[in-house]
Amino acid sequence: MKIKTWFYFLGEAFKSIYRNGWMSIASVGVVIVTLFLLGSFMILNYNMNFLSEDIKSQIEIVAFVGEDVESSQLDQLEKRISSMPQAEEVDLVSREDALVRLKEQLGEQGHLLEGYEDVESNPLRDSFEIRSRESEEVSALAQEIDSLPGIVKVDYGSEVVDKLFTVTRVINWVGLGFMFALGASAMFLIANTIKLAVYSRRQEIMIMKSVGATDWFIRWPFIIEGLVLGVIGTLVPLAGLYASYQYVVDWVYNNIPFLPLIPPSMVMEDIVKILIVLGVGLGILGSSFSIRRFLKV
Amino acid sequence: MIDFYNVYKNYPNGVSALIDTSFHIKKGEFVFLVGSSGAGKTTIIKLISRELLPTKGRVVVLGRNVARLKRRDVPLYRRNIGLVFQDYRLLNDRSVYENIAFALRVIETPGKEIKKKALESLELVGLRNKAKVKPLELSGGEQQRVSLARAIVNKPALIIADEPTGNLDPETSIDIVNLLRVINLRGTTVVMATHDKDVVDRLRKRVIELEGGKVVRDELKGVYRPS
Repeated sequence: MKIKTWFYFLGEAFKSIYRNGWMSIASVGVVIVTLFLLGSFMILNYNMNFLSEDIKSQIEIVAFVGEDVESSQLDQLEKRISSMPQAEEVDLVSREDALVRLKEQLGEQGHLLEGYEDVESNPLRDSFEIRSRESEEVSALAQEIDSLPGIVKVDYGSEVVDKLFTVTRVINWVGLGFMFALGASAMFLIANTIKLAVYSRRQEIMIMKSVGATDWFIRWPFIIEGLVLGVIGTLVPLAGLYASYQYVVDWVYNNIPFLPLIPPSMVMEDIVKILIVLGVGLGILGSSFSIRRFLKV
Repeated sequence: MIDFYNVYKNYPNGVSALIDTSFHIKKGEFVFLVGSSGAGKTTIIKLISRELLPTKGRVVVLGRNVARLKRRDVPLYRRNIGLVFQDYRLLNDRSVYENIAFALRVIETPGKEIKKKALESLELVGLRNKAKVKPLELSGGEQQRVSLARAIVNKPALIIADEPTGNLDPETSIDIVNLLRVINLRGTTVVMATHDKDVVDRLRKRVIELEGGKVVRDELKGVYRPS
């Protein structure tokens, strides 16, 4: 078909969207909500993954030393941990070092720690940071270290990560359910809009058929109408997500500097692809459903 | 041009609309289809325009067996047939010109030809000066002329008119039929289903009379009802 014909289809589609104003707004609205939600979940997930990678890579096991342990005994403890076959690297982090590190992490907010700096008031403990040879052995190694006298608490990254993942998983399932329901209603609303469009143009369709317009010539404007509804429903949440995520990133950077977030441009690349595919898909599915049922060509 | 060979048409509700109907219409003929309501006139028209398929028998139009037409060829087939209806079937939200142009546009006529063809066609039915008027501002006879202009705009070989004068007064009816005659004289075959005794009796063209789904009379230079 000629380019001019496609412009004609597009014109007809927009006319129809305008004619069924409220139905069009409703269907675009639900597509927007669905995709906005989906985009938000994606951003959340990307950051969760990013964060857990970060945690994992930083430290594998942290073993905190009891307050009653003399500093002379620390060397001995370090040797015992180093002698464990799975331990690859062992670092002693003194209370003072830990405080300095925390202060660095807080950046501008570092002044919050003023007054804790002398040996008496330092609330932190001495600790060992241990890296294991194989990541599967982390929890076994952690338990072994935990059983040493003088060690009061063992944290290991994957434990935190596991907890994080459990939370994320629950959020994801709930979100998925929501999105499924919303996606279905978005499709239903688009289908209904197209049904109304077909109905309001039944005279035109009848004439087109009697003068010999092809089936596809009759169908295309309705398919494009669904497509346009889907695309509008995609562009709005994309713009919204980009702007709001940018805002969140800026806010976090200024207020919670030690919380790492993925830069917007990196997340958005995937989100743009997925949301466009889904928006276009919802639009086309909705309209083809109605065309098959109500447009007898 | 149109050949019905022992055609039967049964509807799903059990009605037999056509029973063993055969007739042959040659190129360039002007034929009236007459008979009371339910005699089968509209069924014949729908078989010709391939809106319906025969239950049994063969319908051959323009040398093609309509039952054998592929789905995607049906629209192309219909471009050879100009359809005119009792209720005009015009789009009342656009001008007379737009109505004709629409019929050309939806079969992808090149833009340059649309204007020329549409205006030519309106000229022929005598409505060139009303091109910008909306259909509802026209009289019934004028509206039917617009629909006629639309039917002939693509120069079809065949015009099928289903009760084209059904909503018109006697004088206007004659105008419309005269117009059909002019179109016929230019070589187009015309088949007109009608209840209009005046018109049929005045023109003395071939008459095919149906009754209960059967052809009961087929005579040249016929009248509406001989008795």
